[in-house]
Amino acid sequence: MGENERTGIFFCINLNGNEDVVDIFKIAKNAEKKPNVSVVWYSSDISLSDTKKFASEIKNLKRLIIAGYKTGTVKSFLTEAMVIAGKNPENILMADFNEYGANTKADTEKAKAVVECAILGVPFEAASVPGETSVCTETLVIGGGIAGIQASLEIANGNQKVYLLERTGTIGGHMAMFDKTFPTLDCAACILTPKMVEVGQHPNIELMTYCEVKSVEGEPGNYKVRILKKAKRVDISRCIACGICSEKCPGKAVSEFDAGTTLRKAIYIPFPQAVPNKYLIDADNCIYVQSGKCGICVKVCMVDSCINLDEKDEEVEITVGNIIVATGFKVFDAKKIERFGYGKFPNVITSLELERLVNAAGPTGGNICFRTRDKKGNWIFSDDNEKPKSFALIHCIGSRDENYNKYCSRVCCMYSLKLAHLIKEKLPDSDVFEYYIDMRAFGKGYEEFYERIKEEGVNIIRGKTAKIEEKNGQLLLRTEDVINDRLIEQKVDMVVLAVGLEPREDTSEMAEMLGISRSDDGWFLEANSICDPVGTYTGGITIAGVCQGPKDIPDTIAQSSEAASHVLKSIINGKIRKSIKDLSYDKIVSNAKEFSK
Amino acid sequence: MSNRVNPDLKKELRKFGEGDWNDCFNCGNCTAICSLTEKDILFPRKEIRAIQMGLKNKLASSVGPWLCYYCGECSETCPRDANPGELMMAVRRYLTKIYDWTGLAGLFYRSKLALFIGFLLVLIAVIAVGYVKGFETEALMEFGHLFEQYVILALFTLIILPNIFHMFWLTIVKQKVKAPVFSYITGFWHLIWNMFTQNRSLKCETGSFRWLEHFLIVIGYLLLLFTTVFLNWFSTENNFIIWLGYIVCGLVFVFTFDFIIDRLRKKREVTKFSHHSDWLFVIWLFLLGLTAFIVRLFVDTNLIDNNLWLYMIHLIVIAQWGILLVPFGKWTHFLYRSFAIYFANLKKSALKREGKL
Ligand SMILES: Cc1cc2nc3c(=O)[nH]c(=O)nc-3n(C[C@H](O)[C@H](O)[C@H](O)COP(=O)(O)OP(=O)(O)OC[C@H]3O[C@@H](n4cnc5c(N)ncnc54)[C@H](O)[C@@H]3O)c2cc1C
Ligand code: SF4
Ligand code: SF4
Ligand code: SF4
Ligand code: SF4
Repeated sequence: MGENERTGIFFCINLNGNEDVVDIFKIAKNAEKKPNVSVVWYSSDISLSDTKKFASEIKNLKRLIIAGYKTGTVKSFLTEAMVIAGKNPENILMADFNEYGANTKADTEKAKAVVECAILGVPFEAASVPGETSVCTETLVIGGGIAGIQASLEIANGNQKVYLLERTGTIGGHMAMFDKTFPTLDCAACILTPKMVEVGQHPNIELMTYCEVKSVEGEPGNYKVRILKKAKRVDISRCIACGICSEKCPGKAVSEFDAGTTLRKAIYIPFPQAVPNKYLIDADNCIYVQSGKCGICVKVCMVDSCINLDEKDEEVEITVGNIIVATGFKVFDAKKIERFGYGKFPNVITSLELERLVNAAGPTGGNICFRTRDKKGNWIFSDDNEKPKSFALIHCIGSRDENYNKYCSRVCCMYSLKLAHLIKEKLPDSDVFEYYIDMRAFGKGYEEFYERIKEEGVNIIRGKTAKIEEKNGQLLLRTEDVINDRLIEQKVDMVVLAVGLEPREDTSEMAEMLGISRSDDGWFLEANSICDPVGTYTGGITIAGVCQGPKDIPDTIAQSSEAASHVLKSIINGKIRKSIKDLSYDKIVSNAKEFSK
Repeated sequence: MSNRVNPDLKKELRKFGEGDWNDCFNCGNCTAICSLTEKDILFPRKEIRAIQMGLKNKLASSVGPWLCYYCGECSETCPRDANPGELMMAVRRYLTKIYDWTGLAGLFYRSKLALFIGFLLVLIAVIAVGYVKGFETEALMEFGHLFEQYVILALFTLIILPNIFHMFWLTIVKQKVKAPVFSYITGFWHLIWNMFTQNRSLKCETGSFRWLEHFLIVIGYLLLLFTTVFLNWFSTENNFIIWLGYIVCGLVFVFTFDFIIDRLRKKREVTKFSHHSDWLFVIWLFLLGLTAFIVRLFVDTNLIDNNLWLYMIHLIVIAQWGILLVPFGKWTHFLYRSFAIYFANLKKSALKREGKL
């Protein structure tokens, strides 16, 4: 190659203390040997403030490649240097390792290929097209929230078989807990229940509730999945959901579905509209399972051999071509921030708890009331309690915070506005204060929703509350109103913490089992954040809903439908892409050479 | 009042301390968590905002930074890790520069080289004096005693008083604060009381032991000054004065030693970033106490005549401390802090008079 093809490579060693990264020096050594590479730099050796100096170093180059981690951070510096040196800044090529999923030491070969493609001037995407293979037409969807429900229905309505696997006793996920959804204030159940019923009755959907994935083996198009079917101890083909067993059951536990606002029995149905609409036994809290004594439920049950207290867990294996992961999220644990007093002051509650209180089907029949201690020391909301007269909602709890999660949880601004509206609707005489940092009302109709809530008389104040104390039975908040330069000490009866969204505890375990990656913030990593937000580097595995990153219901539904279309496409073609991550260095480089001819 | 926007303010302030002003997203958490901020004098967010917007006049007129005792609570809880506590520290250094008419305070904060040259010049000067006096103990000690008295007088009239007046000008006169006359008088007792006790820092949750240590150093230092300068400790025969001197010297170097260890450990927010001015301040104060202690010990054991070098070292430390560190270093913070409370109270009385409070 001629003199004017001369290339320089700038390696960004921006590791943030992370040690398990690709071996950049090995890659650089390899690249240095290529005929048209004349120089390599390491970001650690270059002063990013002296553009002129760097410009003089690139005088004789034609092209510049930026390789390594966080390459975007130096692009403007290098562009400026190229311009000063009289070069065309379009001759800067990016070879970012993160972007192509080369994150750990084990990915060194892949990163080497990324750099090699850049040297050859071939887009990595073009050279790294994996081959294809045949596909089994059955699909597994993991997680039965709105994301899993939507994806399952799309595929099932495309006439293909779906296994929908859910860990709890019912599908519905978080959405089933809400009364209304923003920004339209539609009733959540009116949207969700018909879909849940459809799933329950669909001939193409095999619903597996109270189940967990044990292992995933095989390859794209042909995965063998072992599933643990936890014993429900109630035969769902016989149970008529009369509820008499539950009435008499002495075993008690905190109700997960009610976000811990109330207690349920050991034999229970998660909520009245649950799908499947059957009872099940929570072994951890069943007196018979724990100590061998009781069995009241069996005695009162009117259906023959419906309850089998000695039923055992079971394992089954299924074969599927595609897997959609839709495992959702958990909310941030507000106890972690002690200065807000969650867990210490009974009437500092989370948004999820308030969702249950405002829900007509919730523990208080839709009444917002104080939380008090019952005789046994449990904190409960009881309908007989007085109603609070003033409320404060605090945004960004655990989100946008370097001490907890750095990212914005995206839905809490809007759900806080929704909750403020619902409080005003239920208790029109109450005072509602909402403290925010920035109001993120980005979606269609969201800004209008914000305006509407302001007109309803909610006091919306810019400033993050710093601490909450209890004073004379009320809660005292200290906040700076940053727009009006005032320090506000506000007393209210109830504080609602807008807790953020977090990856579930088992996310890393799931990622390992499925062979997919996670991004820095812990969510599952998509193949490309811009043009493939549902694919992964592993063929046949797609991700949908909040498990990929915080999003609201409309976005969840859009993404889930896209995941379904990936699956249907592969089934219609009878072919599926293999995993990009299995492509060897040699294969990618030979593809690239082929391509550049 | 109009404010001129100065886009270089951020860059300038970066020379006075660690931290990135741009990290702050103005949530106000720091102000609301601070136990010392008050309803009408809000900090630290407002100062950070002023810097972000380049409002130099606004910054120069604020007393807030002096009311902060760097407990570090704001830095610990800042969601952006913007280190507001350290930013306040940098603003205090910057304000010292602004108030100082000689320009030396700013120079010494920014340039270690300038400071080094200053230290070197003082050292040479002291040795030269020693030479002129023929390295004779009695003559030198007499010189030292006179020197201390003149330096203190000169410092106060030429540097410290004008600088405090400058501070008054910037924060009160230029801001057109119209406080009732009696508040100037009532506030004065507050001023004296605060100056000695610095008791506002007790409001912070960092603990009263720190405050006690601080208090003992201040008291120890002032008494040391008093015993050496006015009671002529090194030459006195009065037993009471001799013992008093030993005790106050001990207080100074024992507690400053603990402060040095604390800075080395970097455990608390306040000690996470140490500017060279912080180091010099504690180390020189430590040396001051220690060398004075040993000199008097040598006087008492009649060893001083053969060990004049020891007194020379003490004189060098004193001269560097008195000429460079006191007027242009962190020592002035102690005065500015007390006056800031005075001025803050004037502002409050003015607001009260206008019915805004
Ligand atoms: C307080 C609050 C209020 C909100 N209000 C609104 C609103 O008004 N409007 C709106 O658009 N959005 C709102 N949202 C956001 C909304 O909750 C989410 O967008 C939506 O629930 C995402 O659905 P999902 O299916 O991805 O996740 P999820 O609803 O979390 O569902 C995940 C499902 O997967 C199951 N699962 C998890 N792990 C496994 C596993 N390993 N194996 C099997 N199953 C598993 C779970 O049990 C769960 O059923 C709100 C969020 C919160 C916290
Ligand atoms: S056997 Fe278990 S589930 Fe049945 S009634 Fe007793 S405690 Fe409840
Ligand atoms: S959506 Fe709003 S409340 Fe939630 S993290 Fe983002 S800015 Fe904070
Ligand atoms: S310094 Fe930190 S706590 Fe203070 S306003 Fe800025 S971001 Fe908020
Ligand atoms: S360091 Fe402490 S005193 Fe200073 S501003 Fe922060 S919270 Fe207030």
